Amino acid sequence: MDELMASHIGAFMLGQLTISLSEDEAVLAGPGPCPIDTEVVATPEAIREWVRIDALGRYRPLSGARTLRPNWHATFATLAALDEAIEAVYPLAQAHIAAWDEGTLRVVGLDEVLARQTGRYRSAASLSQEGRDLASSLLCAGCVRVPVWRRDYPAAGEIPCPEPCSVLVSYCREAVSWEEEHPAPRAIDPLVPFAAFEQPGNALRETYLYLPGVPL
Amino acid sequence: MTGGKRGLLLAGHGSHLDANSSAPIFAHAARVRARGCYDEVKVAFWKEEPGLSRAFDAFTAEDITVVPVFISSGYFTEEVLPRELGLATVGRTVRYAAPVGAHGALAAVIIQRAREAGAGPADAVAVLGHGTPRNPNSEKNIYAQAERVRTSGAFAEVTTVFLDQEPSMHNVFEMTAATTIVAVPVFVADGWHVGTTIPADLALDGAELRRDGRTLRYARAVGTHELVADVILALAAEAPLWTS
Ligand code: SF4
Repeated sequence: MDELMASHIGAFMLGQLTISLSEDEAVLAGPGPCPIDTEVVATPEAIREWVRIDALGRYRPLSGARTLRPNWHATFATLAALDEAIEAVYPLAQAHIAAWDEGTLRVVGLDEVLARQTGRYRSAASLSQEGRDLASSLLCAGCVRVPVWRRDYPAAGEIPCPEPCSVLVSYCREAVSWEEEHPAPRAIDPLVPFAAFEQPGNALRETYLYLPGVPL
Repeated sequence: MTGGKRGLLLAGHGSHLDANSSAPIFAHAARVRARGCYDEVKVAFWKEEPGLSRAFDAFTAEDITVVPVFISSGYFTEEVLPRELGLATVGRTVRYAAPVGAHGALAAVIIQRAREAGAGPADAVAVLGHGTPRNPNSEKNIYAQAERVRTSGAFAEVTTVFLDQEPSMHNVFEMTAATTIVAVPVFVADGWHVGTTIPADLALDGAELRRDGRTLRYARAVGTHELVADVILALAAEAPLWTS
C-alpha cells in the first residue's frame, strides 16, 4: 500500500476525470455513468493513447477539450503512477494548480502570445480585439482549463490555464482571414477535424462565422 | 556541471491534425528515461501539449538540456524554439543541443532503416528529405547525412531526393542505375507525409514500386527507430550552454 495514498482517501474531480483513492488503490475514471465500462491499461502510454481520440474516433489536439471518451477507468497501485496518468490526460495541470495555489504561476496574455508569432502565424497578431474575444470565448468554453490569462478565476480543484495554447493561436490566425473575407457560415460537419479551422464544416469555424455581433 | 538535479527536454513539433506525429518523441523520452542518465526527462511541442512556452513549468532540475527532435537546422531550431522556450529568461542553466538531424550518428540509423527495407551492397539508397524552397538551410542536414551514408560504403549508390524541392523524389529512377533502390525518409515520424503523401505521390503499391524491371522500396521513417534515443543522448552530452 502507498502510505501517501492512504492519507488522501476520498474522491475528487479534475476536469472530466474522477479520481478515487482508497487504502490500496487509486482509480482514474473518465466521464459517464455506466457501471460496466472499459478497463484501460494503467500505464501513462496506454492512457495517453486512450485519450488522444474521442468517442467518434477523432483526434483530440486540445487536451482540455470536454470530449474525453466516456465510461472507462484505470487502476493504479501508487500515487506516483496516478500522477503520471493524470499528466498524460492533462499535461502540466498538476504543476499549474500547485503554482496557482502558491501564487507563483507565470501568466502570459493573448496579446503577448500573438505579438511574438513569426512565419505563417505572424498574421494572427492582426486579429481585432473583438475577434480575439470571440475566438477565446468559443474555444475556451469547451475546455476544462480556466483561462486565468483572460482573468477568469478557477474554483478549488479547477485547472488554471496560464497562457493561450497553440490551438487558440491557430484559431486566431484563421479568424484574421474570416475578418477580411467574411465567408458565409456553413453547416457543421462532425467529420471535419477539431483544429482544421480553414475547412468549411469545422465546428469552431462555423460557430465563429455565425456569431459575430452576438453578445457572448 | 553542478551536482544538482539534471533534466532533459525533448522538444518536438507535434500536430493539431495528426494524432501520431508526437508518438516517436514520447517513445524516445521513455527510452531515455529508462537509461537513468537524467533525473527528469520531459517533452514539449510546438503544436501539442505540453507546449514549448510552458516546457519548464514542471521541471525541478536547475540544469536542463534541450534536444530539438527536428531534422533540419534553421527556422525552428534557431528561432521558434529559443523564443517559445524563453531560453533568454528561463533563469536556470540551459544547454541547447543541435537537432537530431545534424548528428553524425543519425547516418547509422539511415543505414539501418535501408537494410531493414532490404537494401544490400549492390543497391541504391535514396536519402529522402522534406526540403522546402522557402528555406535553403533545410536541405543541409539531409545532404550531410547522405554523404555519411555514401562514405560508409554500405551501398553501391547513395543519392539525395526531396519531397518539396529539387531534386524531386519523382526523379529517383533517373538519378540511380541500380536495379533496386531503397528510399529512406529522414522524417521524425511515420506521420502524414511518410504514411500518406509520399506513398501516394510515388504511386507505391504497398511499400514498393516496380518500373521497367527495376524496384523502388520504401523504408520506415528514420525518426521512429529506437536507435534515435542514442542519438538524442549523444546530442545531449555534447550540448553547449545556451547563450542568446
Ligand atoms: S487557451 Fe483556452 S482552450 Fe487553450 S488550453 Fe487554455 S483554456 Fe483551454
